Amino acid sequence: MTKALITGITGQDGSYLAELLLKKGYEVFGLVRRSSSFNTGRIDHIYRDSHDPETRLRLVYGDLNDASSLNHMLRTIRPDEIYNLGAQSHVRVSFDVPEYTAEVTGLGCLRILEAIRESGLNCKFYQASSSELYGKVVEVPQKETTPFYPRSPYACAKAFAYYITVNYRESYGTFATNGILFNHESPRRGETFVTRKITRGIANIKFGLDDKLYLGNLDAKRDWGFAGDYVEGMWMMMQQAEPDDYVLATGETHSVREFLDLAFDYAGLDWKKHVEIDPRYFRPAEVDLLLGDSTKARKKLGWQPRVSFPELVRMMVDADLELIRARVHGTGASTRPVRAD
Amino acid sequence: MPTAVICGVTGQDGAYLSELLLSKGYQVIGTSRDAEATRASNLRRIGVADRVPIVSTTLTDFRSVMQLLTKYKPDELYNLAGQSSVSLSFEQPVETLESIGQGTITLLEAIRFIGRPMRLYNAGSAECFGDSAEPCTEETPFRPRSPYAVAKATAHWALANYREAYGLHACTGILFNHESPLRSPRFVTRKIVAAACRIASGSKEKLKLGNIDVERDWGWAPEYVDAMWRILQHPVPKDYVIATGVTVSLRDFIQAAFGHVGLNWHDHVENNPELIRPSEIRRGHANPQLARELLGWQAKVHVEQVVTRMIEAERTAEKVLEN
Repeated sequence: MTKALITGITGQDGSYLAELLLKKGYEVFGLVRRSSSFNTGRIDHIYRDSHDPETRLRLVYGDLNDASSLNHMLRTIRPDEIYNLGAQSHVRVSFDVPEYTAEVTGLGCLRILEAIRESGLNCKFYQASSSELYGKVVEVPQKETTPFYPRSPYACAKAFAYYITVNYRESYGTFATNGILFNHESPRRGETFVTRKITRGIANIKFGLDDKLYLGNLDAKRDWGFAGDYVEGMWMMMQQAEPDDYVLATGETHSVREFLDLAFDYAGLDWKKHVEIDPRYFRPAEVDLLLGDSTKARKKLGWQPRVSFPELVRMMVDADLELIRARVHGTGASTRPVRAD
Repeated sequence: MPTAVICGVTGQDGAYLSELLLSKGYQVIGTSRDAEATRASNLRRIGVADRVPIVSTTLTDFRSVMQLLTKYKPDELYNLAGQSSVSLSFEQPVETLESIGQGTITLLEAIRFIGRPMRLYNAGSAECFGDSAEPCTEETPFRPRSPYAVAKATAHWALANYREAYGLHACTGILFNHESPLRSPRFVTRKIVAAACRIASGSKEKLKLGNIDVERDWGWAPEYVDAMWRILQHPVPKDYVIATGVTVSLRDFIQAAFGHVGLNWHDHVENNPELIRPSEIRRGHANPQLARELLGWQAKVHVEQVVTRMIEAERTAEKVLEN
């Protein structure tokens, strides 16, 4: 049975990827960070008790800041594929915790590459790179050959991780690949990311729990896809004969304002009556426009996004309406405690 | 209204301390590494989540700590953050040392740098004592026997050094084990209680434990957070041992827990050598006399009641889930 190790399994992409790999028959190991309040809401539905002999999903304690724990994990699990999705992943927050972001998001990647090298395992490595690398873009649209211009501590840390991944591929022959993913959203997006903040805000307004929604820059333009499509692209990159770097994107760009229009309209609301601008949410340095060209991935991997922008918006609004409805009517799923081994 | 900042607010002690300080009229700000991601389940469970804003703070990130202290200007700062499991510290020694040792030093540096008077309570640990022949007091030398204890000893001495070198009003509470229903299931007491309740409700599982001959002083966490607060109210900053003064074996704890739900533990507990730690403290015992004399603090809840209360809470939680 093929074994995969996923860092960041409790995040949006980690949960979709775990579902995909389990469906493909993998044994999946998820790395979780110690925490007083376990945040496993996104994987509760696929997690079975570790005592169950049928279980193919296991959670193990580890930390991207702790090289010895990563080395130990590789030696005991001996994974065939490692997907490094763990990070301090919020751009705005990275301005508040720059040092920590560099540690986890930048050095974390290096620690895994070192552990692979040290263990001598013949294992493939996927690094979650980000379209934020393009930052203050030097060309439109952005593709694999476009130079980077990172504009946040998050993006700088991701730039380090990107280059060190390429470096280990070239220096040591590691099967190491970068997926440069443009924004990808879903109902499992973190609640402080703008898309989810909007759809959650709509649900709250719809049920009379709130009236206002505070946002930052409405003019930012992004290339938004559906996370479920993107994790498939990650897997495809790892099945190639040779490791390489690929952009995944829809090839369309939309402003936050357009997202608002579509989402509020779908819910039968007028966003201009509810949305207020709070300068606290502006980034010290903003990224104005991201638009990806994923021709390489489409040609070489046969990858293609399935969910369109309007479909994505509707999916997210529907999911948040359902979530709030269940909460208001007290039929929300009870949360089961999940334990790591 | 005095302001208190609690670093590591989402843990067991953070929740009870929030509740206590709120009841005393404090404005309470809590920190967690990722305020957005935490479910703050402990704060929710005791019903104070709405009154404790949580700020993302990483203690090993200097800017993050400076920002916290300059923005909220706390009168009292309680550092309860860091990796808190002895057994996990053998798996993650580096992260343990960073989050506890480096985290505390960063905090001390930031307080010194800002130069504003504020009182700091730091969560020390009786694990620092290791195996000691005599009941431990504030004068007992440390002999740490795990990466966790080494990290706590580092933080302890760093704090004492800053107190002496720069006159900070900083104190360490050397707390012996203190339990409650908010204990994470990773900890042995909660693990035992949860398993006993599940087995009593029909589960066929076996409870696998490591060394059950170890002896500890187990108290009731809500009382211990009161000691933390008292430590900071004393005009002279000092370190204190906080414990019940009564030591029993883990075997006794198991027997009490299973007995409480009408079971004989011998039928349900199995030994698992994998759970035995590379180096273990055989016996922890304490003499908490100084806290009694100077702070007027004394534990009222002893281990039997700790077991009873944890069992009752577990059963109530099971019923809530069933319904």
